[in-house]
Amino acid sequence: MAKKIMTDLDYVEFYARELKKNNKLFKQQKRLIEAQITASSSLFKNAFGEKDFKAEARKYLKGIGSI
Amino acid sequence: MKGYELKDNVLIIKRELTSLDLFVKDFLSILKKYSDYLVVSGYVSISTGRTRGTEDVDIIFPIMEKSLFSSLFEDLKKNNFWCYQGDNAEESYSYVKNLQSLRFARINEIFPNIEFIPFNKTKKAKLFEFSHPQIIKIKDFEFKIPPIEFEILYKEIILAGKKDIEDAKHLRTFFSDILKQEKFKEYEGVIRSELK
Repeated sequence: MAKKIMTDLDYVEFYARELKKNNKLFKQQKRLIEAQITASSSLFKNAFGEKDFKAEARKYLKGIGSI
Repeated sequence: MKGYELKDNVLIIKRELTSLDLFVKDFLSILKKYSDYLVVSGYVSISTGRTRGTEDVDIIFPIMEKSLFSSLFEDLKKNNFWCYQGDNAEESYSYVKNLQSLRFARINEIFPNIEFIPFNKTKKAKLFEFSHPQIIKIKDFEFKIPPIEFEILYKEIILAGKKDIEDAKHLRTFFSDILKQEKFKEYEGVIRSELK
């Protein structure tokens, strides 16, 4: 019999079920969050510099329709 | 060890704090001096273990007077936050007055940011969740979120995007031992009234 392919939603359910039983899995989540924040910070600091960060950031945010 | 416990009606999540938690904690430590609040939406799922990235943390607050908002705004600036929409309280307050969100990030950062969402008594669902807070605690960081059943239904009925349905599935599964059917029934009417 063919093995059922897990959908994204199945995976979310599976992970939440495991996390409920075993809090050690929170370590993976922490790694993902820290990596995202570090990458984002580095990307925008490189793109806008620190001197005119706010002005450049606002131009960018206007450009993408965020403000 | 289990991922959480419910003790004296406080949800205790058994994990270490992340940089995202510390960002929210810093913002709330300032906000709490001026206003009550509720943390809603994606961060509720993420703070309880949903493993996905996020750019913003949604915080609702009851609309406030200009002078109080100005004090909050200046305090946030003094503590290294900047507002996407403007550098002075006067122009930023025009958003609040019109029930439009503001966004705050740390100086020299864009993400993560706080989406700071004002509401008034015409927003029935927001008023309801705000009046029925659930306390959640991660290490020494304690904050207020909506009842979990309310958050699940709001994501399933109102938001209903792929990410929201996945967040709701996470909450339904992770908290399956403590969710109450009668609360789902009670909250569904409140949430559906938002669609009218």
